[in-house]
Amino acid sequence: MLKLQNLSISQDQVPLFNHLNVSFKPGQFWGIIGQNGVGKSTLLRTIAGINKPLNGAVLIDGTEVTTMPPQLRAQKFSYLFQEQEATLAFSVRAAVGMGRYPWHSKKADDNKITEQALQQCGIQHLAEKSILRLSGGERRKVEIATCITQQSDYLLLDEPLNHLDLVYKAHILKVFSAISQKRCVVMVCHDLEVVKKHCTHVMMLFANDCYLTGTSATILTDANIGRLFNDHHQYD
Amino acid sequence: MGSVHTPLAAVFNSDSEYFEIIWQLRMPRIINAMLVGGSLALAGLLIQNLVKNPLADPYLLGVSGGAATVQLVVIISGIALAQNTLFFFGFLGSLAATLLLLKLSYHGQIKPEKITLNGVVLAFGFAAIISFVLATASGQQVKSMMFWLMGDMSFAQPNLLMPVVILACMLLLMKHHRALDLLARGELFALKSGVNAQRINLIIFTITALLTAMAVAQAGTIGFVGLIIPHLVRLMTGFKHQNLIPMCFLVGACFLVAADTLARTIMSPIQLPVGVFTAMIGVPVFLMLNRKV
Repeated sequence: MLKLQNLSISQDQVPLFNHLNVSFKPGQFWGIIGQNGVGKSTLLRTIAGINKPLNGAVLIDGTEVTTMPPQLRAQKFSYLFQEQEATLAFSVRAAVGMGRYPWHSKKADDNKITEQALQQCGIQHLAEKSILRLSGGERRKVEIATCITQQSDYLLLDEPLNHLDLVYKAHILKVFSAISQKRCVVMVCHDLEVVKKHCTHVMMLFANDCYLTGTSATILTDANIGRLFNDHHQYD
Repeated sequence: MGSVHTPLAAVFNSDSEYFEIIWQLRMPRIINAMLVGGSLALAGLLIQNLVKNPLADPYLLGVSGGAATVQLVVIISGIALAQNTLFFFGFLGSLAATLLLLKLSYHGQIKPEKITLNGVVLAFGFAAIISFVLATASGQQVKSMMFWLMGDMSFAQPNLLMPVVILACMLLLMKHHRALDLLARGELFALKSGVNAQRINLIIFTITALLTAMAVAQAGTIGFVGLIIPHLVRLMTGFKHQNLIPMCFLVGACFLVAADTLARTIMSPIQLPVGVFTAMIGVPVFLMLNRKV
């Protein structure tokens, strides 16, 4: 179980959101929604151990994430950046295979898992292509496939559907749903329809440290959605 | 080959004077050129990974300069002339230069643009110190010092320590070849993928300093090998460090032997410093690469 315990997050030492308490469990597909700048991405980065919490703790099965060695952390979490620039001409297959790093498993197993992820994301035909020569949507699929290859218990995905066309959005969402049967998927998403249709649980972030968590049905009421749209931040 | 005409048969005849030329002058020099070239190419590969800039090189970023400055001061002041002592002082110098460079360029995380600029400025600083030392040195010392600083193989003595250290470095690097791949794609990317980025960076920068120091102690500051060779090898083998590490060493070794042979023979019997040749090849290649980057 992944538990945020009285967690306060910050960006460059500026507090963003305070006193979060919530638990994520395998078998759940979470959608995190909230207006721009409320701290959704920072929250994911803090959970993944990339940012340090300002206060409180991120606990995974009772262990504080910041104290875990990077390799162990990567076995628990895979993290999809909102934007990931590609700088080196690795092949798609090599890039996706990099998700296997934390496991030190047999090469044959790594290859098998990599091939499966390529297939799952519908990019096996691109396997030999350089990641520098991909379109934005293709590159997004490569990054998602890399996260899948990592086979972590928790997938933290920052706007995974960016750059994807409608057909692939639906396809990838089905893949996430399938993964969330055994693991936990936590996705930052701006598309309320998508969250409503696919996520089992929702975390709604408002200004002034207000938030709601629960199952999709209980959170995504007209009243709450109305509140989300009328939510005005004081960023300063 | 070289300034003296040598019949082939005489090479293997231990009574002939040519035997001595080949086996006691030429062979050690070739082996040294291989070790120095390989070290510099590897150091270039590593420092390009460390600063995330394809135009980095231990010479350009002042790592060689740090080693050379300390070694030069040690030689001039007459403290020590033994090869291994020079290695040690050179290592301190290049380590200090690398540390200084990282310290100046670290703000929460390493900023690649900043590190390159700082490195180039540091390299100038070291060059100035070296010029100062040379300007105040006695006339006799100056010419050989100048040669050494331009990169010259003719002083190099065979040394057993160097191949051993290189081998150990390469084994350590090969052990972490996947982490190096991930790190090359960015610090955060490596971190989120489970790489202990801090530890690997420490390994990279220690090995860079070590290889550079040995190369400088053996042959002075030879530029551009560390810059061009990794690029050539990437074109040949792709971006995986599993291939890059051994191939950079091999190609770097061959390249410097070729450059040194040219330096020795092209104006024979005058021997030119090999650094002149690597720069003559390196400058146009650098400019071409910089246009593409």
